[in-house]
Amino acid sequence: MKNVVMMVSLLAGLLAGGSSSATGLATCDSGPKESWQPQEKLEKMLVAKGWRINRVKEDGGCYEVYAINEKGQRVEAYFHPKTLESVPTQPRR
Amino acid sequence: METAVKVWDPLVRICHWTLVASVALAWATQEGWGAWHEWIGYVSLAVVAVRLPWGFLGTAAARFVMFVRPPGETLAYARRVLAGGEERHLGHNPLGGWMIVLLLGNVLLVGLSGWLFTTDRYWGVKWVEDIHEGLSNSLMALVALHLAGVIFTSFRQRENLVAAMLHGRKRPLH
Repeated sequence: MKNVVMMVSLLAGLLAGGSSSATGLATCDSGPKESWQPQEKLEKMLVAKGWRINRVKEDGGCYEVYAINEKGQRVEAYFHPKTLESVPTQPRR
Repeated sequence: METAVKVWDPLVRICHWTLVASVALAWATQEGWGAWHEWIGYVSLAVVAVRLPWGFLGTAAARFVMFVRPPGETLAYARRVLAGGEERHLGHNPLGGWMIVLLLGNVLLVGLSGWLFTTDRYWGVKWVEDIHEGLSNSLMALVALHLAGVIFTSFRQRENLVAAMLHGRKRPLH
């Protein structure tokens, strides 16, 4: 009967183990938000490139953009809020 | 174990443990493992797509009609559990039966909301993400309750129910 507790706690441990990591795909050293370029400017830039933007949020000091790019691919892209340049992200695993 | 009876057929057991693995892996791949997370989600949806029809066509203990009891009966069973005089069930007991329905339903919804997030139209959309996360949290709560129920019933009936879900056999009723 001790086996039940052992088996169950093993499974519970597996589940709990996965919850400890919470990181985005990139970080930006971007300082205070007052020095950032406006999000609307980034959006206009990307729309002009042919992107369809679904959502822009902040993550790790970057602008994180969920969009369909000009090739029709869905992308989760990061941009530096000061330069609005693309920030390389970890490859998608 | 004295002459044990076959209760859980192989498909039920394969579905159960594939679901355990896929839910655990989906939980572990929430952040930064998008491609893996998506495929794991499809595996869990595939399990539900197999298990639901099997609940109508499968062997006795696999069928929903055998273990989904009306609310009144389920409450009465819960009262017997609290009073310490509940009967043994070879398949799911009434509380366990409802847990199966809730677990399968929750996996289905969390999988569908996850898939929705990957469509062009809803890619990255906040409310879809919020619903997906809310459903994954409720699934974890159900899993915790399910494990608690399995441990409790294992002790109460002096039968390792985790092992029973592995080899499929249980002690006969009489």
